[in-house]
Amino acid sequence: MITAEDRRELYLGAILLAMVVGHWLAAFYYAPVDEHQGEVYRIMFLHVPSAITAFASSAALAVFSVLGLKQRSEGSLALAKATAEVGLLFTVLTLATGSIWGRPTWGTWWTWDARLTTTFLLALLYCGYLLLYAAMPAGPSRIRACAVLGILIFADVPIIYKSVTWWRTLHQPPSMLRAGGSTMEPEILWTLVLGMVILCLYGAWLIRFRSRNIRLADTLEAASFDQLQT
Amino acid sequence: MMNSPFWRHYRTLVSQGIQAELADLERLVSPVLFALTTLLLFAFAIGDVEPALRVHIYLAETFLTALFALQINFSRLFEPDRQDRVFDLMRTYPVDHTAWFLAKYTLVLAMGSATLGPTLAFAAFVNQSPSQPLFSWVVVGVAAMALAGLAALGVLLSAMTLKANARQILYPLLYFPLATPVLLAAVQSSQLYLSSGQITADVRAWLGLLLGFDVIYITLGALLFTELVDES
Amino acid sequence: MEITKLSFAFRHRRLFHDLSLRVGAGELVHIAGPNGAGKSTFLATVAGLLTPGAGTVAYHGSHGPIQDRRDALEYLPAEANGLYLKMGATQNLQFWSRLRGLNLSPPEIWTALTPWNLNHPLLRDGFAVEKFSTGMKRRLALARLQLSPAIGWLLDEPVYGLDAEAMTIFTTMLAQHLAKGGFALMVSHDLLPFAGLITKTVVIGSKSGTAGAA
Repeated sequence: MITAEDRRELYLGAILLAMVVGHWLAAFYYAPVDEHQGEVYRIMFLHVPSAITAFASSAALAVFSVLGLKQRSEGSLALAKATAEVGLLFTVLTLATGSIWGRPTWGTWWTWDARLTTTFLLALLYCGYLLLYAAMPAGPSRIRACAVLGILIFADVPIIYKSVTWWRTLHQPPSMLRAGGSTMEPEILWTLVLGMVILCLYGAWLIRFRSRNIRLADTLEAASFDQLQT
Repeated sequence: MMNSPFWRHYRTLVSQGIQAELADLERLVSPVLFALTTLLLFAFAIGDVEPALRVHIYLAETFLTALFALQINFSRLFEPDRQDRVFDLMRTYPVDHTAWFLAKYTLVLAMGSATLGPTLAFAAFVNQSPSQPLFSWVVVGVAAMALAGLAALGVLLSAMTLKANARQILYPLLYFPLATPVLLAAVQSSQLYLSSGQITADVRAWLGLLLGFDVIYITLGALLFTELVDES
Repeated sequence: MEITKLSFAFRHRRLFHDLSLRVGAGELVHIAGPNGAGKSTFLATVAGLLTPGAGTVAYHGSHGPIQDRRDALEYLPAEANGLYLKMGATQNLQFWSRLRGLNLSPPEIWTALTPWNLNHPLLRDGFAVEKFSTGMKRRLALARLQLSPAIGWLLDEPVYGLDAEAMTIFTTMLAQHLAKGGFALMVSHDLLPFAGLITKTVVIGSKSGTAGAA
């Protein structure tokens, strides 16, 4: 049985997904060919927005975590957990697309580029968050512990990025993954920005949808527990 | 002022913590033994190193070992409190929570130093060579700065995972990614110093990062610890 | 102490709702209810371990309401004693009493251990508490309770595991505490020894959770 609210939610999701796909089409047909890299560079239109969404998720995680500390509610924890899951999804997407981009362009599947490395660490941190969530029994302790971790993750990401950037610049010339570089044709730039916005919106929808899913699963579990009691 | 409840709680908790450590010496000895074993493992795995790389390898394995050994100290910090619901009872007592954090932080600094000291000494000892004396007070200073921040993170994570299952693997999985900047900063700054012999601007930059990490994590530690143990 | 409309729900399951209770000096409140009803949860909430979903707990001293009720309350959990297992009896008691501002010397502690048959030179110092029997640990916890300056006691199954002699000592201690103006909230399956002392009963069950005078 799908309620009216669910239907609206799914419509919204479908629209956003259509926008994402539409953006990919623009990426393939509208944006011009890059003079240096040819067609392959187009994967950047998925890679960079994924990265932006992944890191924006860490900010969202921090917000929901602070909310969790203030309200101590299961709702804020569900939102935070959903954010960690979505964040993990987009970090993995970023790493995969980065890898696919790197191979034909520079000959390697992986490079210790500052941004990729930080994304990898962020993926590990999201995993850690989900592990903590799974390792603790439901209740106020879990809400607080996960909230603290969410804040710690958000606080550490800039420090990690800074340290890795310095680490790489000391030993190598600046990042090879010039996302378009300083001279980007307007079509490319706009397509990129559009991609960032759309993907972030889609990510936000995913978070909301998933968090409601988590709350529903919680309610079901509680209801089944009550069945045992009576 | 020194007799205010805050300092009274702090002193009581610190002296109790020290007594708890002395009552169970294994807690202090195991991390050191672990560090020495790890250094040995590194030596076997790496073998002979050409002179140009020797300093870097020495610093890398020293700080890695320190990170691993300190993790043991940190993750076991609240072990006495986990037993018999001591932690819960403490939360029902009128203890100033910031004093509680400060006391645990002090204890972890003491325990960490007791682990770091022998680790640094032994690492320098086994890695020395006639041409390249490896012991340096600057390295000790860098290690101390690293400990200052890691200790705060350690206390916080310890309190967070108190009621979690699979703590033994969960703790390192959370701790290591968060601690990577410290590892980078420690190794880079030490290496730059040892290879050039002076504190260059680059060294200062890394030390600045380390200091930033320390400040952020000590502050976050004090703030968030109270959130973890408060009732409301 | 005044408890107003306390509510606690765990994952949609309401343990108690709109529970109000007033406890005055010399009162012993018995918290009753079937197993798993939430009696321990109620005590833990009053003690400050858990945050209620709604409602307040306030403690009014002789000079007016106090900010931190933990100064006035001492909590004894069920099935746990809050003792550092690797340390001795005297050390444990010294530590906990110091947190409440009492600086007791070892002889003073030993005096407190005597009624509980724990004041034996080989037991009281340098003997790790983890080697105590269950009953001995409980008696040590009760000795800590006796030393505490707290006016309100929150007791969760205080005499579980104690032999008859220790139970008598506890009953006497409780009576003295109430006579001096203290109060206590107690969960206990053993009611017989305390029958004469109980002034109120609160039932926490699946249906209602409101105070009723007994």
